[in-house]
Amino acid sequence: MSAEALGSLVPEEVRALIRTQSLKLGRPIHGRGFGRHAAARIGPGREFRDHRPYVPGDDPRRLDWKAFARRDRLVLRQTESEDELTLALLLDGGGGMAYGAGAERKFTFAAAVAASLAYLAHGQGDAVVYALGGGPLPPNTTLRLRRASESLATLGEALRSHRPAGVAPWPALLEAATHALPPGSLVVVLSDLLDPGGRGLPEDDERMLAGLQHLRARRHDVLLVQVLHRDEVDFPWSEDRPLRFVDLWDRRPPREGAALAMRAAYLDALQTHLRAWDEEATRRGLMLERLTTRAPLAETIARLIRRLGEHRTSLR
Amino acid sequence: MNFLAPAFLLGLGALALPVLAHVLGRQPPRDVPFAAVRFLPEAEPVVRQRRTLRDRGLLLVRLLLLAAAVLVFSRPAVRHEGPLRVVAQVHDCVLLVDASGSMAMQIDGASHLEHAVERATAILEALPTGSKVGLWTTDPGGPRLEPTADPSRVREALERWLDDGAPRWGAWRLAEALPGAATMLPRAGDRPRFIYAIGDRFTGGLAELPSAWEGIPVLPIPASDEDAPEHVALLAVTWEPAAEIDPRAVRVQATVRRAGPAKSEAPREVAVALHIAGEEVTRTTVTLAPDSERRVEFTPTLTEDGQVAAKISLVHDDPDPLPIDEARHLWLSAERDLEVLVVNGDPSELRAHDEVYFFNTAIAASQATGSLRIAMRSMAPDQLDQDLRRRGAQALHGVDVLVLANVQAPAPDVAETLLAAVRGGMGLWITAGDRLDPQAYNATLLPLLPLPMRDAMAVGTAPGRTEARVEHLAPPVLSHPIFAGFRDVAGLETSRAKKIVLLEPEATRPHEVALSFTSGAPALITSTYGSGRVALLTTTIDRDWADLPLRPGFVPLVLGTLSFLGDSGADLAHRRVRVGEPLVLGGDTPVLVTMPNGREISVRPDKDGALVLKETYLPGHYRVRRNDADATVFVVEVDPAESTTTAADPPASPELEEASSFVSKPQWRALLLGLVVLLAIESLWRWRRAVSGTKR
Repeated sequence: MSAEALGSLVPEEVRALIRTQSLKLGRPIHGRGFGRHAAARIGPGREFRDHRPYVPGDDPRRLDWKAFARRDRLVLRQTESEDELTLALLLDGGGGMAYGAGAERKFTFAAAVAASLAYLAHGQGDAVVYALGGGPLPPNTTLRLRRASESLATLGEALRSHRPAGVAPWPALLEAATHALPPGSLVVVLSDLLDPGGRGLPEDDERMLAGLQHLRARRHDVLLVQVLHRDEVDFPWSEDRPLRFVDLWDRRPPREGAALAMRAAYLDALQTHLRAWDEEATRRGLMLERLTTRAPLAETIARLIRRLGEHRTSLR
Repeated sequence: MNFLAPAFLLGLGALALPVLAHVLGRQPPRDVPFAAVRFLPEAEPVVRQRRTLRDRGLLLVRLLLLAAAVLVFSRPAVRHEGPLRVVAQVHDCVLLVDASGSMAMQIDGASHLEHAVERATAILEALPTGSKVGLWTTDPGGPRLEPTADPSRVREALERWLDDGAPRWGAWRLAEALPGAATMLPRAGDRPRFIYAIGDRFTGGLAELPSAWEGIPVLPIPASDEDAPEHVALLAVTWEPAAEIDPRAVRVQATVRRAGPAKSEAPREVAVALHIAGEEVTRTTVTLAPDSERRVEFTPTLTEDGQVAAKISLVHDDPDPLPIDEARHLWLSAERDLEVLVVNGDPSELRAHDEVYFFNTAIAASQATGSLRIAMRSMAPDQLDQDLRRRGAQALHGVDVLVLANVQAPAPDVAETLLAAVRGGMGLWITAGDRLDPQAYNATLLPLLPLPMRDAMAVGTAPGRTEARVEHLAPPVLSHPIFAGFRDVAGLETSRAKKIVLLEPEATRPHEVALSFTSGAPALITSTYGSGRVALLTTTIDRDWADLPLRPGFVPLVLGTLSFLGDSGADLAHRRVRVGEPLVLGGDTPVLVTMPNGREISVRPDKDGALVLKETYLPGHYRVRRNDADATVFVVEVDPAESTTTAADPPASPELEEASSFVSKPQWRALLLGLVVLLAIESLWRWRRAVSGTKR
């Protein structure tokens, strides 16, 4: 039932895609329970790994009788362990995510991505937890990590009912996730990453990056999904008529001017910002995927799955 | 303060336009909620300024500029009580405005005519409510307006007239225009009627006006109370050949007059220049005592053939108050063309016996060298009569001199046409002979004859004259114009005549004897008739009665007489047409007239078949072309009478109940200055802003 509640956020073509795909990391994991992901340790799994001589005390059910027939001595069949993956979805629900309309609204798009990943993970038996930063909900509510199996329905409801506003408290959220998640979890952060503190201060970016680095230090894999609207990327306004850009966080005074005259400076500053995040993500071992809300959702999900599957640098 | 064109004050509403344009053009910005405000540059200052009133000072200057322009157009003026008094009771009136040449006199920086319009405006403002006012100007082409209860129409008509530069400085007299103005005021019950005549106090102006015309009182109003300033005028200009100096020399004479109240009693030197074909060829200086005139003479030798445009002008250091008489124009020519029609009363197949054989020979001999070019044609007496009967005056069109050589007499029915032609300027030379019938001449052409003729008689047959069978010619009267240039007896003293026509003495008939016999009987006697001249030779022009044709003085005598007769001044080249005077051009085919300003107009015969040029409003040289024929020329000039600025008192006005008038003193000139200053400030302001904008 919970999966159906979430599924209404996932379009049919994405669901079709999910049926043919599985969420797998490109490295073994350390899960808290059995699951479908290759674990870093030997354990009861389906994939053959090795034989070893039988020693007393070994479970006789694991004797490889065919090998005994060939070798004339008792050997045990060892298999790869398959652990459960914990997928943590940290979704930016701040005012900045309210930009756009319809399916191209940044929060809507990010919610669809989050729902799709949750749907996928749940479908393959992984644990899903989520946190929604920002919005009118009290911070203690949004910061609580839940098991998706317990509250997947609430995730769907939360994504549907959330009205982006305010500022996502990234430092606190990341710190909470750092301690709450089991090691080796996959943390997917969905945000525009344009102004993490909502104040336009570089310190806010640095604090968020530090929080993400702490996650990495706890051996979590971190995937930053930067959701941007095409207007933010292209700055398509070219009219002579003056525009007044109103801050969605409502923290800065509006900025007014002829769009054509502002465009070059804007694009220049944006590119500098994005480049800085690219460099920092690489330096800190974070995966960063930049999406625009115009991108087809199915392709986006496939791209994310592919990116996760290629990632092999988690455990060092 | 009041406004002469208050309607323009509505333009003050335009003051709202700049403010309105600012308000409407403020372009409220469109709100765009945006997440990446962090990367946007600070607000653009220009856009921010566009939304607020910037350069309030410049806006103020521009508003003042606009307001000043509107005020200039509405012509503010300060009214003060004027010197004029108008009739206080409600009445009908006509403003009669003098537009003659003398109204060009400048006083206090404005012409008399402009002062007259100011006076007219003052009258219009002072007229009692309910009065009707009309307008009449002496210029036939000037504005005329039937009496109306709306004085502003009259004011507008006058202003339009001035603005169009319409005054044409003709010699139009106020007294002559008075009847026309009176026709605008037909009697309407007991409503009083008046004519306000506004003009100068010179000749042709107010002084000539009667105190009333057909029962309508005439109220003379001087255009200005100031006395006319002293001015120098170029009056009559004449010219004549100066053959005694050079065959191509001409003598040009002009009269320069210093008129008006003198600034000082000291003599004044005035330079007079002669221009020929557009170039000044000579200049002289005359010294003029106050209120005196001097004659100036130039004797240039003409190098160009044909008619040459010439001009005599005064050269002043300071502009003369009356500019219309500063130059006089003339056409000069070293050659003279005369068309002579000879009516041969006694033709003969033997050339030596032909009546006009010697006459023709004399003319033919002169054509090779002389400056008088004679085109001669001849006909029989009956041909002349028939031609005159058939074509009337056209038969003599272009004929300068008609010679009736031994002609019996023109037929009585054509005599009147002949008389009219002479009156119009044609010369007539009658020579005696056996065929001449004195009584017939006396009966038909008596008005033009120098003296009535008696019968011919053979000399020496009179009682007591048996010893001599011939009469000798006495020395000629060299002062007579026929002998101009002759230095002695001219080779005629040995001439003898055996038969002459005696003349009837008549003391009242003006005549001049050019040549007489030793007995005292006139041989060649002249007179003028209308514009034409008449000469009568009492003996024959061939050898029948005298040996005159055999004498060396015969050729000069013939040429001198023809020149005298043809030089009546009636030909176009010598004609001095007054400005505005219609000119009857001879002939019956269309002509093209080139005016002094280069404009060409075509003149076609009117319904009576006459060619009348009415466009003679521009002083200067005119040229008339007819088909491919050589052009004829004439000159239009301002009437010298308009240069007379002797003031005369206008007639006394009747005693009337009067009301005050007001004079509006214009104030917009100061405003114009303010406008220019504001423009300069505005330009400076914009320049400074542009410079500071560039630096920024």
